[in-house]
Formats: sequence, C-alpha cells, structure tokens
Amino acid sequence: MSTRIWARYVLATGLLFPLFCGSCGKPAAQQGSKQANPSTTSVQKASWTLGENAKPYSGKTIRLIGEDYPPLQAIEKLKPDFEKATGIKVEVERYEAEAVLQKIAFDLNSKTGRYDLIIQVYFDMGRLVTQKQLRPMADFLAHPTLHNPAFDPEKDLFPLWKTMGWYEGKHYGYPMMALTMYTWYRKDLFDDLKEREAFKSKYGYELGPPADWKQYKDIAEFFTRPTQNFYGTLVQGKKHMALWQEYLNFLYSFGGAVMDTRDPSHYGPIVINSPQAVVATEYYKSLLKYSPPDSLNFTWDDALALMQQGKVAMCLMWSDSTYALEKPTESKVAGKMGYAMAPKGAAGRIHQIGGQSYYIPTTSKNPEAAYLFIEWMLQSDIQIGQQKLGGASARKSTYETPEVLKLPWTSAGIAALDHTHPAMLYTVPESLQIGDVIQLAISDALADRKPVQDALDWAALEIKKVVGEKAVLKYQPK
Amino acid sequence: MQAKHQRNAYFLAWSLGPLFIFLTAVFLGPFVYMLWLSFTDLSFAAPDRTGNFMGLDNYSRALWHDEVFLGSLARSAIFTLLSVSPEILIGIIVAEILYTRPIAQRLLSPLFALPVLLPTVVVGLYWRIMLQGEFGVVSYYLAELGLPAAKGILSNSHTILITLALVDIWQWTPFVALVLLAGRSSLPRAPLEAALLDGASQLRAFVDVTLPGMLPTVIVIGLIRAVDSFKEFDKVFILTGGGPGNASELSSIYAWRVAFRRWDFGYAAAICVLIYLLLYAVSQGVLSKIHVGARR
Repeated sequence: MSTRIWARYVLATGLLFPLFCGSCGKPAAQQGSKQANPSTTSVQKASWTLGENAKPYSGKTIRLIGEDYPPLQAIEKLKPDFEKATGIKVEVERYEAEAVLQKIAFDLNSKTGRYDLIIQVYFDMGRLVTQKQLRPMADFLAHPTLHNPAFDPEKDLFPLWKTMGWYEGKHYGYPMMALTMYTWYRKDLFDDLKEREAFKSKYGYELGPPADWKQYKDIAEFFTRPTQNFYGTLVQGKKHMALWQEYLNFLYSFGGAVMDTRDPSHYGPIVINSPQAVVATEYYKSLLKYSPPDSLNFTWDDALALMQQGKVAMCLMWSDSTYALEKPTESKVAGKMGYAMAPKGAAGRIHQIGGQSYYIPTTSKNPEAAYLFIEWMLQSDIQIGQQKLGGASARKSTYETPEVLKLPWTSAGIAALDHTHPAMLYTVPESLQIGDVIQLAISDALADRKPVQDALDWAALEIKKVVGEKAVLKYQPK
Repeated sequence: MQAKHQRNAYFLAWSLGPLFIFLTAVFLGPFVYMLWLSFTDLSFAAPDRTGNFMGLDNYSRALWHDEVFLGSLARSAIFTLLSVSPEILIGIIVAEILYTRPIAQRLLSPLFALPVLLPTVVVGLYWRIMLQGEFGVVSYYLAELGLPAAKGILSNSHTILITLALVDIWQWTPFVALVLLAGRSSLPRAPLEAALLDGASQLRAFVDVTLPGMLPTVIVIGLIRAVDSFKEFDKVFILTGGGPGNASELSSIYAWRVAFRRWDFGYAAAICVLIYLLLYAVSQGVLSKIHVGARR
C-alpha cells in the first residue's frame, strides 16, 4: 500500500478519534509464506531449550494488548517466569473489548508498531489478513530456534485452532483460549427436594439440567418468582456484541444460520431470515418473560453479576466467566453451581465458540520474541497455570490433568467444544459489520420495535449490502 | 515611525504566529482533512477502499438513502428538545429563587456546581448503577412506590429518550441555573422597582421586566446546551449503547457505529460534516437574532 494511503489512514484516525497517538515505526521485515514442516527428530526435540534460543532477544521488550479479563490477567501473573527464563520483558496492556478493537485498528493502520503481539477476537482475522496486517506463522514454525519441535499444534490443540488461527488455508495465529458457551444452573436449587417435587407435579418429569429447549423454558418458567426478585433465566439483550453471540446459540441449535457455510472464511447464501431462524428468534424472545425486567440492557457483565448475586436460576454463559462465578470472594453462589451442555434443538446441541487468538502484526518490532512468548504460553504446564487462573485452554492436555479435571465446569466445557458449528462466527473481513447488523435486528425484535420476520428480513438485506456480490439471498425478504 | 510599525508587525508575527500555526494544526487542518475524507470511500474493512474520491456519494447516501441516519438525526433533535427545554425552564425558576434569597444562594451555589464538575462518563456510569433493574437504588424505590416498570427503565424503547433526557437535566440544570443567575444579577434594579411601584404584581413584573432583560442570556445558554445535547454521546452510549434496537441511537452514536463497527471512515466523516453543518446553520440563525436584537 502506498505511503500516500497510509498517510490518509493516519490522518483519518487522528481526525476522527482523539485517542489516536504515537509515532510511526518502521515496518518489520518481510516474511515468506511457505508453510512449515513440523517434522523433527527426537534429537532436535531434546536439544531445544527456551533459554538458549531466546538469547539473541534477551533485553528486548515485547508489548501485547488484549481484553481485560481473567485469561489475560492470568498472563500477567504468569509472565515473570518467561521473563526470567529469556530475559525478554513482557508488557501487557489490558482494556475493555471495544477499546481493544479500536486501539489495534489505530496501531495497525497507522503502522505505529506499538504492539508486538495482539490478542484479538478471531472473527476479525479476515479483515486484518486482507489488509496485510498479520504475519503468517510459517516462517516462525520453520525457524529452528524459534519453534520448539516438541510443540505440534495439529496434535496438541483442539481442532478449533484452525478456525481461530487460519484464514483461507494459511496459518496466522494461535488460540489464546478456546471459549465456548454452556448452561449454568443453580445446582443447589435443582437438587432441592421441595423444588424437585413441585417441578415434577407441575411438568410431569424430573427437574434437572435442561435436555432440550422445551425443558429450558419449563424450568425458566418454574423458577421465575418476581416477587422474590428471582428469575428463571436471563437474556443478554443489550445492543452489544454479547447479544449477537448469545443469540447464535439459539439460531444454530434451531437449525438456522447467518450464512449457509461451514467454512468461516468463506461466504455462503444469506439465510438469516430462514423459517428456522424465525422460530429460533421467536423462542429467544419468549424467554424475556422469565428474565429480569432490565434484560434488554444486559451484556455478559450484567449477566455474570446477576448470577453471582444469585438472582437467576440458569442461563447460557461463556466459559471464561465461570472462574469469577466460582470465586467465593466475588460470588454468592460459588460452590452451588452446576454446568451442562446447551439444550438440544432441531439441529442438536450447538455451542457458540469464541475467544481471542495470538497474532503477530506485520508492524511488530520484535516478532521473534513475540513468537517465543506465544509458544511458551502454549506449553502444557503454562496452559494448566492459565486454566486455573480463569483461562479456557485450547490445548488438549490441559484437560487431562487431575487439577483441571476436578474443576466443576471442565466436563461441560469439553463436551461443548465437541458440539459446535465451525462457522457461527465468520472470519470474513465483514464479520464485525455482519455482527453489527445482527445486534440491531435482534435488539429491534426483542424490544418489539419490529416483528421477528421483519427484523430478520431487514438483517438479510443489510448483510447483503455489506457483502455485496459475495453472497446471495436464499430467502427473499417479504 | 516606519521602523516602529515594522517592529510592531514583527512583534505581532512572533507572538501570534505560533498560536495561528497551533490552531491551524489542531483545528483547521484536521477539519479540512475530514471534509476531504467525506468525499472518499476510505474503509478499514475493505482493502479495495483505500480512499478513492467518490464525489458527493457519501452525502447523497446519508441524505436520501440512509433511513437509519435520518432517524438518528430526528432522535437527536427530540432528545435536545426533551432535555434543554426543562433545563431552561427550571434554570430560570431556580435562578430567580436564588437571586431573591442570598443566603440560599451562598449555601447552594457550591452544591449546584457538583454535577457539572463530574465527567460525563462518570455521570453515565453513576446513572447506569442507579437505574440498573436489579441493583439500582432509583429503580428499586420507584418499583416500591408502585411503578414496577421502573425495573426495566433502560429497556423500555418507548420511554428511553425521556429517561435519558432526565439524566441530562440532572446533570446540566444546575449549570444553566448558575449562568442565568449571573445574567439576572447583572440586570439593573430600577426598571423592576419602577414596575413594582406602579403596582405590578411580582409575577407580572418578573414576566414583563425581568424575563425580557434575561432573554439574551437565556438564548445563549439555550444555544450552548442545545448544541451540546445534540452532540451527546458518552452518557447515552454507557447507559443504553443506542438501544433497545435503535430507540436511543443519537446521530453521534450512529457516527461512532459507522466508524468503529463498520470501519467506514469516509461515510462516518460525511455524517460528522452533516451534523456540523446542521449545528452551524442553527447556531448562526439564533445568533443572528441576538445581533438584530442588539442593533435595535
């Protein structure tokens, strides 16, 4: 891209967004695009040591940025071991999710080079790749001193590492966490004999973690007791990223989709207004009856706070929030919770996957040191440490350790990771724009500003406008 | 004599030059660039949209094809009306009360300054907690007083603009009152005393003598507040994010969404320019009335 165009980016960001600042740094060296061949000998594996291979980078500082929540806070706690072993200093910048997106956009588009490593939502990967802002990992993997031969991502990580790290057949990142959503429920109430009797007499079957969406609604209705300030479930209904991502659990489980594709980096026919999507959205909306009255203003933060305060019987929630829910100093329901897979819909049990990945920007001033840090973070012992501090490891071996296995949410998390759809969140460059459309459409439907069918038809047309000729409308809006 | 003029010219150039350069760099330069940007297709989401010139397309799209933008402009206007009118009305009453009660004025003036001193973001967070359906003090007591709907006060798309206007009134009415009090204090006493001596009631004297005297101050503070309210972003963004749906999506929030959610900087710049032009036109219209009044 020409200097003139970059200058426009710099001026544009500086003009519209006063937070932008910094000086331009030199772009890092170009890299090749060959994919690595991880075949290694046992001699190589045995001889590779972090301290030795990090020597050329000792004394350097790498700066990383990510969302301020337990997995990143865990990195902050774990990094001294890396610093001690390598002499590379790690500076961590933590911000709220939206601020992370913006700061990364400013940094990468202005080529400031402030960040050597970014921890970014994976569904923004396509946009960054098509703007040539991410380094492919191939050169690092092929590098004899940067890549630890004992680490084989294909074998060591869950298959979703490809969704979160690959774009159009090329490797750009590693998952920082493999997040998923599953059912949180108040085990103490579900095990209560009086509650169980009352439930059985009303609905004719045993109270337990909901097996399907009908049971989910029954249980939500049963526990909704507004006079006691207690509700059966909650909806993360604020026009926010949380709404978009919670809604997708319902949409895909009922057999709907946004675009009809199983490859997140490819477009498919737009089907957000399919009959299945209408049923899913009507169902989702119906849950408002059993949710706190302020649900249309809830994000994941509000949802977590309400659960921690013991005001809601069950909900669908992100795995990375579980740690805060089980922290006795922060939560009234620590030790009282149960975790289960999401209920079954027409398309089975489908769980939203999400999370952020490690990416190295092309503007990184210390890409080699940044890569060493990524591989160190993905080591099995470090992953266990991060998991215990609130992580959601993408490494399989983490879930084989007794310490992690005994955590009450581990089994639900693993099961959820096995029951998902590879393209619930897309990695196409327009992914965030598509999400923005979905948020507005579903928020309109939930707030009764539009009938469900109208809201979804509007979403289909808007998504078509966003992606243009790359996708067709499968269901013509009425 | 000529040498003295030359020295003065040098002095002016050296003393005002840096300021001029600074102002050009900080205000004029970026504004001109934003203007240019609004004629381009610059986007961070599409690699082929690198800032190509596209004439008036962005403006045409905003004014004739983007119902969401036009809706957001209408909401900004409604929000401005809902918040500024009561602020002025209450401000006039409070200013008069404080003017006629010096002790109350001395005691209350510092308190009145408090909401104004709070950053808008803090006001937004403060009211988000107060109005939160399950934990909020205000929503709790309103529900206890027989208004259970108060628990979903930020989720009600029909009343959300009124709720947001009430928060704005809470924050800015004291400031309006203090400015109007200053205006009231600067009025000459003689006409009012003459009216009272002629037998006019307090209310009549206030309406016929005091209020016309305060009118320029009322118009100026009204204009300042109207422009400020029209541009409102922080509080509304924190309280509702523009929702439910787009029930509280003001034009500034829409511009943010276009820039940061859709990365469509060319179009976002056009929206910003249109908002600027609208506010400029209204301000000039109002200010010209004051000038006409002053000439009379």
